[in-house]
Amino acid sequence: MSPLNRLLRRPEAVAGAFILAVLFAMALSASLLFPSDPQAIAGPALLPSFQDWSLPLGTDRLGRDVLAELFHGARTSLAVGLAAATAALFIGAVVGTLAGFAGGLVDEVLMRITDAFQTVPSFLLALAFVSVVGPSLGIVVAAIALGAWTGPARVARAEVLSIRERDYVAGARVIGMHPMAIAFREVLPNALPPVLALSSVIVAAAILTEAALSFLGLGDPNRVTWGGMIAEGRTVLRTAPFLSIVPGIALVLTVLGIYLAGEGVVETTAVRRSLS
Amino acid sequence: MSDISRRTLLSGSALLLASTAMPAIGWTQTPKKGGRLVLAADSEPRNLNPAIVASNGVFFISSKIVETLAEASFDGKDGLEPRLALSWEGAADGLSVTFKLREGVKWHDGKPFTSADVAFSALQIWKPLQNLGRTVFKDLASVDTPDDFTAVFKFAKPTPFQLIRNALPALSSVVPKHVYEVGKIEENPANNAPIGTGPFKFGEYKAGQYYKLTRNADYWGKDEPYLDEIIYQVLPDRTSAAAALEAEEIQLAAFSAVPLADLDRISKVPGLKVISKGYEGLTYQLVVEINHRRKELADVKVRQAIAHAIDKDFVVKTVFLGYAATATGPVPKNDPQFYTADVPTYPFDVAKANALLDEAGYGKADDGKRFALKLLPAPYFNETKQFGDYLRQALAAIGIDAEIVNNDAPAHIKAVYTDHAFDLAVGPPVFRGDPAISTTILVQSGIPDGVPFSNQGGYKNDALDALIAKASETLDTAARTDLYKEFQKEVAADLPLINVAEWSFISVARDTVGNIANNPRWAVSNWADTYLES
Repeated sequence: MSPLNRLLRRPEAVAGAFILAVLFAMALSASLLFPSDPQAIAGPALLPSFQDWSLPLGTDRLGRDVLAELFHGARTSLAVGLAAATAALFIGAVVGTLAGFAGGLVDEVLMRITDAFQTVPSFLLALAFVSVVGPSLGIVVAAIALGAWTGPARVARAEVLSIRERDYVAGARVIGMHPMAIAFREVLPNALPPVLALSSVIVAAAILTEAALSFLGLGDPNRVTWGGMIAEGRTVLRTAPFLSIVPGIALVLTVLGIYLAGEGVVETTAVRRSLS
Repeated sequence: MSDISRRTLLSGSALLLASTAMPAIGWTQTPKKGGRLVLAADSEPRNLNPAIVASNGVFFISSKIVETLAEASFDGKDGLEPRLALSWEGAADGLSVTFKLREGVKWHDGKPFTSADVAFSALQIWKPLQNLGRTVFKDLASVDTPDDFTAVFKFAKPTPFQLIRNALPALSSVVPKHVYEVGKIEENPANNAPIGTGPFKFGEYKAGQYYKLTRNADYWGKDEPYLDEIIYQVLPDRTSAAAALEAEEIQLAAFSAVPLADLDRISKVPGLKVISKGYEGLTYQLVVEINHRRKELADVKVRQAIAHAIDKDFVVKTVFLGYAATATGPVPKNDPQFYTADVPTYPFDVAKANALLDEAGYGKADDGKRFALKLLPAPYFNETKQFGDYLRQALAAIGIDAEIVNNDAPAHIKAVYTDHAFDLAVGPPVFRGDPAISTTILVQSGIPDGVPFSNQGGYKNDALDALIAKASETLDTAARTDLYKEFQKEVAADLPLINVAEWSFISVARDTVGNIANNPRWAVSNWADTYLES
């Protein structure tokens, strides 16, 4: 049985994958379906959902099309989530491998730095970083990655510690490979699977953190973000609740979808690994 | 003016609703004594000394404790009514103003109030320390006190009496000399627990929770104040004020603590009334501040193009939901003394704006863009932020690519007024009844870096500077008023900044609160006559 088949056997994984597929479709088709600026004023302000079929989800306080914002917001959310997770996994894997493989003083120093980052709540770290440097998409990604790399670093280190004692690593040493080459060419690739298993959690957390930052007014104001939409809708929560509910549902579904799909992949690979 | 009629209509309908729901509503009733008024406060100023920090956030709380020489009034002479001063008279040469003070007034600590307190406040605080007094009282040389209840302000240079008169409600908070003469004024503990002559004494302040004011039994006003206590419940979240009103946890939310978008709904709630009166003397102006150091923006055609690109009616209707008026120039329409409509105007016209930009030599590139700008909307009000979003779109329509930069309040003030790190900014300056108090400095040149709410855009216009200088020393009221009309024309023609709209605030109160909005600065007046019905 192929891994894909095994994956498809799990209903929650299928649901997650479906949500993710829809999300990617939304993000990719955003500029095709809504080619103009999603922040442009498209109609009368505060038009409720399902009233005017040219603006199916209604408009916000300035008359911007909520559906267009939702599609373009999917783009920002996914971009931030993936970029932040990639950065966090990369930093984490490198730091963890170096620490685990080098051992000794290097290990101590790197792991104490990791501890230091881990003791500060990652959201506060992101908040502080963005408030100091100023909000823009790149900075938000960096801020989220800054708080998220410690998990992968610890997992990578633990994995490397066990792998470096394996015979093939000893073999590589014997044939005179450079320690760095052993660490990153031989050890790291084998240490990666459990680290990658963290990716779904990190992506989901990154999307939530980005939304929370935008909600607090620390997102990139020149882009549509779901968190920003919720914050914008909050002032009219009693009169136009759909402005907060629509992006809120999108956010919940996205995080749920990523989590379910990620879990599914991890479970199937775990089964495969235990089988092999 | 459709906007005004909507305002009156709305408050009118709220009133009607209230009168049917509660036949006992009392505008004519005799005030009842006692009771505790609980209201929403959205900010927590640390320095509560209104003589040093003359701002509405401070007045909101401390105007009940520390009184001014005179208060604004709907029907008093020159729009004023007496408080600590009973009368005021300016000399013909503009070199002195004589105040007759109220007798038998006591400070909250029991000491008598005398002209020495007025002299001390004016010379030691208003002139050297107060944000607004620094300009208005800059030529104040001395204050003579021939007796305990006469204070004669002596000016080194002729100072228009009209200006001093207009400045009284906001700038003349009198604090006790015996409390402030020891130690540094800025560090006096009374700045955090003010001592005044007002109808209420400072009770206590719990950070993040409340301010409590208690009744001053020795107040000079007959039978006043009516309330026993005023509690300012700190509710920083604007959406929670409406809920708290409905739950009867608070009885009043002033300064538009209830979001504009919620007013329509809340005006239909029985027992609550929406009031747009009582802020006539506190007009905020929605202004696009311009950095003239940018070569594109130094060109008046570009500034005119931007003015033509802004649909002021849309802004009033959508951003302010009708609770505002479109602006024509630097003096608001509702000002009875200085406003003139006879100025160049910039009707909404995208085609004309595009033509002006082409004329100025900033043609569209292949991607439809002419040039890029940094836009900094002030973070103090939802409306300034929302207008920033609108302005970005309005500029996109004429090929100007504006990038919004959001900052918190201190960072915004630093970026705009100290570092000049902006191209356009959205600001909410306040018009305080006289252009010389806080309006001319928005366009005047030669203001040092770092002075907030002043011309920090590097704008310099010798003709306008000369006009401002001349008006500041013109004593004759009519001639002075004419000079300020000239000033409005010049500003509207050359656009050192773009005035978009003028707005004020809305109060929402339970029907039981009486004597609301009975003067043009009601929310920041002393509330001696405010009462609760049950």
